[in-house]
Amino acid sequence: MKRRTLLKHGGTATVVGLAGCTGGGNGGQETTTDETTTTEATATETTEETETTTETGLSGTLKVATYSSFVDAPSSSPGAWLKNEFEKRHPDVTVKYETPENELNYYIQRAAQGVDISTDVYVGLNVDHLIRIDEKLGDRSLFAPMADRLSHYGHVKDGLKFDPQQRAIPYDTGYISLVYDESGVEKPPETFRDLLKDRYAGDLIVQNAKTAATGRAFLLWTVNTVGEDRYLDYWTKLKNNGVKILGSWSDAYTAYENGEAPMVVSYSTDQVYANRQNKDLTKHQVGFLNDQGYANPEGMAKFADTDNPELAAAFMDFLLSKRAQKKIAQLNVQFPATDWAPLSEEFQKYAKTPKNPVTFTYEELQGNLDSWVDSWAREIAGGQ
Amino acid sequence: MTRGEEVGGEGDAARRDARTDRPAPARWVERHAISILGVATAIVLAVVFYYPVLTVFADAVRVGGEWTGAVVRGVLTDPFYFGVLAPILGGDFGAVAEVAAESPLGLFGFTAFQALLSTVASVLLGLPGAYVLSRYEFPGRRTLRSLTILPFVMPSIMVAIGFVAFFGTNGPLNDLLALFGLGPVNLLFTLEAIVVAHAFYNAPLVARVTTAAWESVDARMVETARSLGANPWRAFRDVLAPQLLPAVLTGALLTFVFTFMSFPIVLALGGFQLATVEVWVYSLVQELEYAEAATLAVAETAVSLALTYAYLRYEARQSGGGRAANPPPRKRLLPDSPSPLAAFERVGVFAYAAMVAVVFVGPIATMVAESVTGPSGFTLRYYEFLVQRQVEGASFQTKPGVAVRNSLLFGVATLLVALPMGVTVSVLTSRGGRAGRLADVAAMAPLAVSGVVVGLGMLRGLVFGVELWGHRLQVTGPVAIVAAHGVAAYPFVVRNVAPLLGGVDRSVVESARALGATRVRALLDVELPLVASGVAAGAAFAFAISIGEFDSTVILATGSSSYTMPVAVERYIGNRTLGPATAMGTVLLVVTSLSFVVVDRLGGRWEA
Repeated sequence: MKRRTLLKHGGTATVVGLAGCTGGGNGGQETTTDETTTTEATATETTEETETTTETGLSGTLKVATYSSFVDAPSSSPGAWLKNEFEKRHPDVTVKYETPENELNYYIQRAAQGVDISTDVYVGLNVDHLIRIDEKLGDRSLFAPMADRLSHYGHVKDGLKFDPQQRAIPYDTGYISLVYDESGVEKPPETFRDLLKDRYAGDLIVQNAKTAATGRAFLLWTVNTVGEDRYLDYWTKLKNNGVKILGSWSDAYTAYENGEAPMVVSYSTDQVYANRQNKDLTKHQVGFLNDQGYANPEGMAKFADTDNPELAAAFMDFLLSKRAQKKIAQLNVQFPATDWAPLSEEFQKYAKTPKNPVTFTYEELQGNLDSWVDSWAREIAGGQ
Repeated sequence: MTRGEEVGGEGDAARRDARTDRPAPARWVERHAISILGVATAIVLAVVFYYPVLTVFADAVRVGGEWTGAVVRGVLTDPFYFGVLAPILGGDFGAVAEVAAESPLGLFGFTAFQALLSTVASVLLGLPGAYVLSRYEFPGRRTLRSLTILPFVMPSIMVAIGFVAFFGTNGPLNDLLALFGLGPVNLLFTLEAIVVAHAFYNAPLVARVTTAAWESVDARMVETARSLGANPWRAFRDVLAPQLLPAVLTGALLTFVFTFMSFPIVLALGGFQLATVEVWVYSLVQELEYAEAATLAVAETAVSLALTYAYLRYEARQSGGGRAANPPPRKRLLPDSPSPLAAFERVGVFAYAAMVAVVFVGPIATMVAESVTGPSGFTLRYYEFLVQRQVEGASFQTKPGVAVRNSLLFGVATLLVALPMGVTVSVLTSRGGRAGRLADVAAMAPLAVSGVVVGLGMLRGLVFGVELWGHRLQVTGPVAIVAAHGVAAYPFVVRNVAPLLGGVDRSVVESARALGATRVRALLDVELPLVASGVAAGAAFAFAISIGEFDSTVILATGSSSYTMPVAVERYIGNRTLGPATAMGTVLLVVTSLSFVVVDRLGGRWEA
């Protein structure tokens, strides 16, 4: 693997050198790289290589903000790959990542206080974030609509587009589902009502909907399915049936792996990762309730104040390209958000999709989200 | 804080020729050293603590540019938060019975209840430790004493990983119990889990503070009491206990304040059913609901500060009975003269050691074991990851070596900032009186304010900066981090030094002053050597606070390479793997263990 990396870098250097010569000053000219870039290219990748072009029209520094595990977590971060590939295409461009601890809140707060934002693109946005932005900032816009300027936007699956104003562009998606241990759950629950049965008492770990995206998605799934009037009732019964509500997805998943309960709320791509780690797949069965899964697309958006709209557009378009879509899916262990990225064999075999994906639209959540989550939290907390 | 060091330097020069022909400026500085340090301390506090925090607190009463008391009223009269207190505060006495039946405690009541349980557990677990460490001599005692501070620096994520694995259904503890035909116990996600984890963090604090006091008791007073006919129990109760009680209460007070404002441990080990006020504040801040968050935070702070004030009044009443440190000789682990009582006591010591092994060593060892265990058994690949990240990591990624270097640098710098600040505040507030106590409470506030609020205040006040005369003044980077760590750490110096300083015989100091020594000289030459064990304990705490600090480090290090070891641990949590995080956690453990032994040895030399 290390030798390959070296070869790849060697190859890149030559290509970039060449591009510098031929492209000089003439913005429109493009140099198509060939197989020299990647010695490990397989047959399928060959066709994709035609996408890899070196453009000299763009230059400058692109500041991309994202959540820290997108660039910093071991083995599964797409950040480094995206930066390298994009810089390879645009030799005069440097991608700089920013990962503030409070993630998007950092920028909302800056905007609310009237402090300048010099960042260009945000990666890792969901519909809850949009609602918060619009509620807290009102007329002041943090992000600007972008879809018209992206040549690949037509490939984004319609069902995943979650921003009516088209500021946030989806780049991947996951389905919230149950993950369970076959040896601990004889007959997996098939409906939400099943989860209330005695046989599943104390068997489920979920995440706190106030602080974890997966927990919030699961809560919204119950609101969607059980109904706005009855979900609190449902949760009271779930609580009485011994559901464990932990802080973060990581807390919950660790507890699950340590055998604290045989079911956990997680993603339907669970087996992809388990298989890569040579884990026992009986402990990583994916279960959908009511044949549903709650879709949780992740999006990216351009900051309204950016001085680099061209560069931002190029980067966002790149994330939607066939190659990047395939790679992000692989590294982030999520489904691509476009219709043109071929799913790897691994994904076809191990990633599960629900028969009926459900999700709330922006309009449905607007004005409701906070009160749904808050009522839920008051129902659960308080030390009883 | 360089000023403080300069003052120290001048003092050294002054030591050589006591009161004769020194240049006037040097004499001026020495005479006013305490005031200069006091002003410097106040400035640091104002910039990195009071200003940021007050801007957040202002959110409680200023909503959308309008002054209003509505949010505060709404929170105070909400039974969900205040239980039966809510209708009373709202003047709606008719509703008391109804609320009492439904949610009598409210979130605040429950939070105080768990903090009380946690405090009792910490004191019960910590006191025997202090007894063993200060009254027994055995190989490795000093090292063990140095390491008591270790839990204090463990990032809560690591503690949670260790606890979940060790106390879990399939964890080593249940395996161990099964050997004796016991168990299994289901400790996780219960109130008990939170209490034990809080004891893990705070019992060492109690032990540490009490050990320092125990090592500076006056044994001659006990001997006198005994020679006057008091039995050992009476001698303990009437002579020894009053000398130890302030330290024990200091430990208990700090524990209560911390556990009252605990949140990462509660989130990870207790489950949301057991949420505390601070969990709520955290969620509200995440949702950018500042008015409500600020109101809750002010209420939390009021409780903590009221307790601190009550304690300081007590402390003030206790001091003044001057004494010199003259600890009794230590016992050996194997008794010199065997007797049933001595044997009984040793059995107790060993039982205690077993308990310590379960509560402290178990989780830490499990966390270390996790770092070398992959899905298919033993592996070193998580450490390989650390090495690879160090060698090949991109500029935007976190490198382990940089984290270690930063942690150590910030730790030492914090110590240099917090010691002069802490000692200055101790001296200034030891003058007593109501004003002195109020000043003391104000100086202790950094302990009593929620970490979430301090972090938010720093973000908005320091990182975003303030617009002044057309320029945006921002405070970030290493200097800001050290200042923030210093502010977080110096109250520990104060709480370790002030009670002992109050116990120093005033006549000794006054004689020195009468002989012409400046206030600073009397402090350096007379008082500090007498309370050296407290100063050393404070120094160790300052270093530990800096190493373990997370909230303000993360915020002030935004966009720079000033991250520390706990930050790296958090960032290495991967998708479905904790391996690299536990490997980094183990590095943190090793580096800090070594540095505590060093800090304590250096401090110890000074003590002797």
